[in-house]
Amino acid sequence: MGLFQKLAHFLGVKKREVNVLVVGLNNSGKSTVINKFKNEEDRVAEIVPTVGFSVERFQNQNLAFTAFDMSGHGRYRDLWEHYYKDCNGIIFVIDSSDRLRLVVVKEELDLLLQHPDVCNRKLPILFFANKMDSKEALSSVKIAAALGLDKIMDKPWHISASNALTGEGLQEGVEWLTQQIRELILTKN
Amino acid sequence: MSSFKRDKKEEEDGGGNPFQNIERTTVLQEARIFNETSVNPRKCTPVLTKLLYLLNQGETLSVKEATDVFFAMTKLFQSRDVILRRMVYLGIKELSAIADDVIIVTSSLTKDMTGKEDMYRAAAIRALCSITDATMLQAIERYMKQAIVDRNPAVSSAALVSSLHMTKFAPDVVKRWVNEAQEAVNSDNIMVQYHALGLLYHIRKSDRLAVTKLVAKLTRMSLKSPYAVCMLIRITAKLLEEDDATNDSPYFEFIESCLRHKSEMVMYEAAHAIVNLKRTTNRELIPAISILQLMCGSSKPTLRFAAVRTFNQVAISHPAAVASCNLDLENLITDSNRSIATLAITTLLKTGAESSVDRLMKQIATFVSEISDEFKVVVVQAIRALALKFPRKHGVLMNFLSAMLRDEGGLEYKASIADTIITIIEDNPETKEIGLAHLCEFIEDCEHISLAVRILHLLGKEGPKTKQPSRYIRFVYNRVILECPSIRAAAVSAMAQFGASCPDLLENIQVLLARCQMDSDDEVRDRATYYSSILGTLDKSLYNSYILDPPQVSVTSLERLLKEYSHADTREPFDIKSVPLAAIPSPDEHEVKQKSEGMLVSQGPAKPAPVSREENYAEKLSAIPGIQTLGPLFRTSDVVELTESETEYFVRCIKHCYSNHVVLQFDCLNTLSDQLLENVRVQLEPSEGYEILDEIPCPKLPYNETGTTYVILKFPENDLPNSIGTFGAVLKFIVKDCDPTTGLPDTDEGYEDEYMLEDLEITLGDQIQKINKVNWAAAWEEAASFIEMEDTYSLSSMNSLDEAVKNIIQFLGLQPAERTDKVPEGKNIHTLLLAGQFRGGIDILVRAKLALSDGVTMQLTVRSPDDNVAELITSAVG
Repeated sequence: MGLFQKLAHFLGVKKREVNVLVVGLNNSGKSTVINKFKNEEDRVAEIVPTVGFSVERFQNQNLAFTAFDMSGHGRYRDLWEHYYKDCNGIIFVIDSSDRLRLVVVKEELDLLLQHPDVCNRKLPILFFANKMDSKEALSSVKIAAALGLDKIMDKPWHISASNALTGEGLQEGVEWLTQQIRELILTKN
Repeated sequence: MSSFKRDKKEEEDGGGNPFQNIERTTVLQEARIFNETSVNPRKCTPVLTKLLYLLNQGETLSVKEATDVFFAMTKLFQSRDVILRRMVYLGIKELSAIADDVIIVTSSLTKDMTGKEDMYRAAAIRALCSITDATMLQAIERYMKQAIVDRNPAVSSAALVSSLHMTKFAPDVVKRWVNEAQEAVNSDNIMVQYHALGLLYHIRKSDRLAVTKLVAKLTRMSLKSPYAVCMLIRITAKLLEEDDATNDSPYFEFIESCLRHKSEMVMYEAAHAIVNLKRTTNRELIPAISILQLMCGSSKPTLRFAAVRTFNQVAISHPAAVASCNLDLENLITDSNRSIATLAITTLLKTGAESSVDRLMKQIATFVSEISDEFKVVVVQAIRALALKFPRKHGVLMNFLSAMLRDEGGLEYKASIADTIITIIEDNPETKEIGLAHLCEFIEDCEHISLAVRILHLLGKEGPKTKQPSRYIRFVYNRVILECPSIRAAAVSAMAQFGASCPDLLENIQVLLARCQMDSDDEVRDRATYYSSILGTLDKSLYNSYILDPPQVSVTSLERLLKEYSHADTREPFDIKSVPLAAIPSPDEHEVKQKSEGMLVSQGPAKPAPVSREENYAEKLSAIPGIQTLGPLFRTSDVVELTESETEYFVRCIKHCYSNHVVLQFDCLNTLSDQLLENVRVQLEPSEGYEILDEIPCPKLPYNETGTTYVILKFPENDLPNSIGTFGAVLKFIVKDCDPTTGLPDTDEGYEDEYMLEDLEITLGDQIQKINKVNWAAAWEEAASFIEMEDTYSLSSMNSLDEAVKNIIQFLGLQPAERTDKVPEGKNIHTLLLAGQFRGGIDILVRAKLALSDGVTMQLTVRSPDDNVAELITSAVG
C-alpha cells in the first residue's frame, strides 16, 4: 500500500470496509441488534427468525461494517464456521435472561474459540449481554464469570449489557469494537 | 449490464468460444476471490459466469467442492452490484441440488424478494424455491402468498411458477395458496393470468368437481390472456374426453366459440382440440378443419406449420376430413420452409391414393437430405403407413428406405428406418428377401451398436427360413471379424440359429463357432462354446429349448433369486422353474402414449422402464408374513374394480396366483372425510373346493388413504374344474366418526359396518402366464408326446374372426404366437396359435382353427403334459 493511501487511511479520509460476524443462540436478539445499528430509514419494522444468514451494512466512525447476521437456530449453528475465516471481528449476543441455556452458550463459545480459523488470530470479540431490561436478567459481570471470559487471554474482548429494543448499551459496545479493529488494521499495515 | 455487453462483444470479435479452454479446477481456484473481505464485482462476475458455463456443459462437482463454492458465493451477498447479485441467484439455483446446507441463504433471499429492488425480486423467488424443501416451506409461506398477489407482474409470475414447481415436494402447502392464485387469475397481465390458471388447475386437478367448477366459471369470464385461454381449452378438452358428455355440452360450445377468437393462437388451439377429440362427428369437425385450412394459406410460417402438423397427426383418424384439404396441402409441398413441406407431403402420403405415391416419393427425395432427423423420422413413419396400406408399392418404398439408410443420421432415425423395414417384412412375406438384403448391407457399415444387435437377432430368426440361408452367413460372420464384443456376441447367437434350423449348414457353422471360441471377449467365447456343444449333440429337442426358443424368464427376478440362492444353501441345484416368466409388454401401452401426445399439459418426466407386474408385487408381498411360504409368485392379474369409482369406499382387487394358492389383494380407499375405518377386511364366500388359509386385515384406514388387506386362499386340490369360480365379497370394518378437519375420531368406540362388493371371479386366465414362443411350430412338434385334446365349438355370438380371436385370447390368457392374432382382411378361415404356462409350470399349447360362416366355428386342439390342465381348457371354452 502506497504511502499516500496509508496517510489517507490514517487520517480517516477513505472509509475502510470490515466484516464482522454476528453469532449467538436463537432468540438472543442478533438481528434486532444489527437492525438498531442501521440508518433510521433502512430499518425493518418486524424481526423474524433468521434462516441461514443475512448480510447487513452499517457505519461507525468512518468504518463501514458488513455484518453477517447468522441464524442461531440449533440446526444452523454448525454453518457459522464457514464465515470465520474472513471476518475482522465477532459480535456474540447472549440472552442474559435465559439462565437455563447459559451452558449452551458456553459450549458454543468454546467451540468457536477452538476453531482453527479463530484460535490463532487476534480477533476482537464483543459480547452483548442483551435483554438487560428483563427482570431475570443476569448482570454482565455474572455472565462473564459464567462463560469464563477471563480465560480468554489472546484476544481482546469486551462485554456490554444492552437492550437492543431501545438501543441502550449498543453504542458503547460497537465503539469499543471499532476502536479495536482500527488498531488491528493499523498495526497490520 | 455493461460488463455483459462487453462479454458479448468479445465473443463476436474472437469468433471462438471464450470459455473453451477453462477447467474445473482452475475455476474453483478462482472462486476463492469470493472470500475476500471487500468484494470486487468486476472480478467475481466472470468467475461465476465460468462456473455456470461449466455446470451447464455437464461438468459435475463433488458435494464437498459444491458446498465450498456455494458458501464462498454466499459471501457475495454483501455486494450491491445488480449483475453480480443476479449471477449469484443463478449460481444458487445450479448448485442447490448438489451442495449441502443450501438453506443458509434463505433469509438473504427472503430479504431480497420482499425488498424494494424490483430487479432482484422475481429472481430471488426462483432461487428461493430451488433451495427450499417441504420442512422449510412453512417459514417462507407468508412471503410466497404475498408475492403471488404482488402488483409487479414479474414477481407474481415468478411466484406462481415456482409454486407450481414446489407442488412436487409439498403439494399440501401449495394447496393452501389457492385463494391467492384465484386472485392472480383476475390479473390484467397476460402472463400472470396464464401462470395463475396453470397453478390453479394443478392444485385442483385431482378433484374433478373442482375442475368442473373452475372451467364453468372461467369459460363465462372471458379471459384476457390468450395463453390462459389456450390452457383453458386444453383443460376443457380433457374434461370432455373424460366425461362421456355428448358434444353439445357447454364445454364443447366453449371450444367452438374459441374458433372465432381474435387471437390466432387461440383459434389454432381450439381447432387442434376439436380435431383431436375422440368422438367428434363430421359436422363438428368442419368448422375446425376450415380454420386449419385457412391457416395453411397464412403468410406466417408458424401458423402454416401448426396447421399442417395437426393435419399430419390426425390424417389417420379423420382421413376424409383431411383429404378435403388436399389441394391446400399440395400447395405447401413447395413451401420454402422444409419442415412444412415435409409434413405436407407425409400427410398427403397418408391420405392420398395409390397412384400419387410415385410422384410424392420423387418429390420427397429431392429434399430429404436437407431436413433434420426429426422430420426424417416423420417421413419414415409415413412410409411405414403407406407400405401397410399399399403392399404392392413395396418396391418403390424399399428402395427409398435403403437409400435413406445409407445417408448420415442419428440412432433414432436409423432405428425408425430399420423398424419400418422390419414391419414391412413381417407384413408382406414377398419383401422378406429384399428387406433382409438391405438390412445386411446396412449392418456392414453401422455405427449404432444397439441397432446392429437387433438386426443380427432378426437375421438369426428370419434368415434360416429363406430360400438360401447360406448367403446371410457371410454377413453375419463378417461382424464377428470386424465389430466390438457386444455385436460379436449377437452374431454368434445368430449363427447358432442358422446351425440349429438348417441341417445342411451345420457343419460349416460348427467350424465358424470353433473359430469364435478363440475370441478375446469372455461373452463371445462363452456363447460360442455353449452353442457349439448344443449343436454337437444333434438333439432336436435340445435345439428347440435352448437355441431356437430359449426360456424367457424375467431377468430381474432371476437376478434376485440367484442372489438369494448364493446366500443360502447351495448344495441343492438351483431351480429355474421357480423364476417367474417375463411379462409380455402389451402393445396398447405404446399407442396410448402416442395418442395423448400434444393433448394436455406436461406429461411429466419420462416414465421408468416398465418392470413386470409380478416383479413389482413380489417384493411387496414377500414382506407379508405367511406369503413367502407359498413359493414364488406365478402371475399377477390386472386390477379389477369391485365398486363403482365414486362411491363411499373404493375397492380394487388384484389377484396373485401361486402354484397352489391364490392371494387376493384388496386396495381400499376411504372417501368419507368424517370417518375413520379400523380393522378393514374382506369377507369372502369362496366357491366349492377353495379353502381360506388366512386373512390379513388393514388396521386403520383414514380419509383419502389407501389401505391394503389380503386374503390367502388355497386352490381346490386335485380338482381343476372347480378352480374357476365366483366368490361373493363383503367389506367389513369398524367405523369411528371423526372430525373432517383433524381426522381425529370423536369417540373411542366405533360400530361394525359392512359394504357389499361386486362378485369376484377367478378365471382360467388368472392361472395362466403368457409365454412368447418364437418358434411355435417347433414347440408344437416337440409336444407331440403330450396329452392332446380336441373339441369343436360354435361361437354363435361372434360376428367376425377378429372379434373371436380377441375374445379367445382374453379368455384363455395365452400369448398368441407368430402374429396369428392379426386376422388378414377378407379371409374366412384363420388359425390362431397360442402358448402359455399353467400355474405350477405346466406348459400349454393351443391351436384354434376358426372358420366364419354365420357365426364362428372353432376347432380347438390343446397339448399339455398334464391331462387335467388340457381338459380344463377344453371344458372352460365351452
